[in-house]
Amino acid sequence: MRNKTVLQRVFQFKYTMIYPTIFILLLVIVAPLVYSFYISLHKYILQFGIGKWVYLKNYLNAFQDREFLISMKNTFILTFSVVTLEFLIALGTALLLNRDDLKGKTFYTIILMIPVMMPPIAVGLIWRLLLQPDLGIVNYVLGLFGAKSYGWYGDPKLAMLTVISVDVWHETSLILIIILAGLTSLDKTPYEAARVDGASGFQTFFYITLPMLAPVLMVAILIRMIAAIKTYDLIYILTRGGPGFRTETMSFFVYKKAFRELSMGDASSQSFILLIIILIFSIVLLKVMNRQET
Amino acid sequence: MINYRLKKKVSLSLVHLILIIECLIVILPILWIFRTSLVHRVLAYRIPPKWIFIPTLENYSVIFKEEPFKLFFANSIIVAVSSTLICLAVGAPAAFSYSRFKTGGNALVIGILSTQMLPPITLVIPFFLVYKTIGLYNTRIGLIITYITFNIPFIIWILIGFFQGVPKELEESAMVDGCNRFTAFIRIILPISLPGILSAGVFSFVLSWNEFLFALILTGKKSKTLPVAVSGLITQQGTQIGAVCAAVILIILPMVILYFGLRTFLIKGLVAGAVKE
Repeated sequence: MRNKTVLQRVFQFKYTMIYPTIFILLLVIVAPLVYSFYISLHKYILQFGIGKWVYLKNYLNAFQDREFLISMKNTFILTFSVVTLEFLIALGTALLLNRDDLKGKTFYTIILMIPVMMPPIAVGLIWRLLLQPDLGIVNYVLGLFGAKSYGWYGDPKLAMLTVISVDVWHETSLILIIILAGLTSLDKTPYEAARVDGASGFQTFFYITLPMLAPVLMVAILIRMIAAIKTYDLIYILTRGGPGFRTETMSFFVYKKAFRELSMGDASSQSFILLIIILIFSIVLLKVMNRQET
Repeated sequence: MINYRLKKKVSLSLVHLILIIECLIVILPILWIFRTSLVHRVLAYRIPPKWIFIPTLENYSVIFKEEPFKLFFANSIIVAVSSTLICLAVGAPAAFSYSRFKTGGNALVIGILSTQMLPPITLVIPFFLVYKTIGLYNTRIGLIITYITFNIPFIIWILIGFFQGVPKELEESAMVDGCNRFTAFIRIILPISLPGILSAGVFSFVLSWNEFLFALILTGKKSKTLPVAVSGLITQQGTQIGAVCAAVILIILPMVILYFGLRTFLIKGLVAGAVKE
């Protein structure tokens, strides 16, 4: 056993199993990233081909681009709003569903989880049709109650709110699934002790449920946050970033830069800024998570 | 005591009321789109809506006959199934190796999983430029390759949890009976983890089916998938509400069937990664 050759060691079972994954991920993720980073350091307009090396100029330019900064602000507003709302609604709903004396729990859960597997494009289209100012059913129903007709995704004041609401409609289900699973996996003994000690519902929630559930909640928030920062599909189908730049997210801005203005150097550098922001957020959240666990 | 019981009853009805409202908010929009997909095109955008009508499949025949949705549907299926199978074949051994031997340690697995943070827009730019030069632009194979980027990490994430639940003794006794590590993996471990592999596969299929950005940029007329095709209908939306609704139903139908068919099973798979019991 001890006299393995180098070859045998390199190709032992556990490594052989993992080589294909490493090889393929190097090819389809690392290589494109390196290439994109290379582009981001160059002047590169698609029609003219790759131009001269400009160091970090593209990155610095990004921060002087007003539209880019607006898209950054929009992304933060959108991410913060949807994650907060989805988390609170999902947690509240999960607690309601978790009541022992509730009948029809399975029925409610089945219905509430339906949106989880739907494509964002379909969700965006559904709401685009329902919220159509003149032909949509929503304005018609509101009209029955005497409300005026709203331009849900065309009105500068409402557009972001509409995008947020549609995202909440779609993605709350994912957090709900995770929280419900977390609740069912909780150890029941502390609850019995709390009941014996005469703890109130609120006390039980804040001193037992919440701390025990914290790791699961953080995972749910992390997953949703990373996805929300990347929001693209919903914007494309609902507003195309409009009206003005009101709902333009960073992903959508980069898309425009790359595939409408064909400015590949700028777009690459901006996409890396987006990547770095996601990285920072994730690391901070993971740090917080680890601290709570220990 | 009566007071207590009354209070409990009231609060319980309140809970039911809230949950019913939430359910209606979820289900009514989908039902309305379904209804509109069955309405004759003249009635489709009549406001106030006509509640009683004779259902027709005309809108579905529009998208299948006047628009090549048969092709787009096939594209979606081919791309999603192939990338799922490739990623399972590659990712399952890796997930097993990690869950048994901690191969490569934390660094490797964090490296693989952190790729899920990558915004697709960062990857799609280099893919676009390379595909244009090597001729993979507007091909299904090109799209399948890009879907590997998010499917392998996701499959590994789900499967690590499943493989950790498979007792070591199983493969050890198989090896006593004359299997080597590879055959033990293929004959014993894989069959026993079939539920996990199936649910990882279904999720990977769903992710691929729903993907939009890569498909939007890297495909053209002949390799378009459903999300891109459906989003293309919106330009004619004013005239074709019924057709758009039919297309939306077409794209969510497989997801809804999967959801109702495999619900408990899928939820178990999804939370296996997120909730450690």
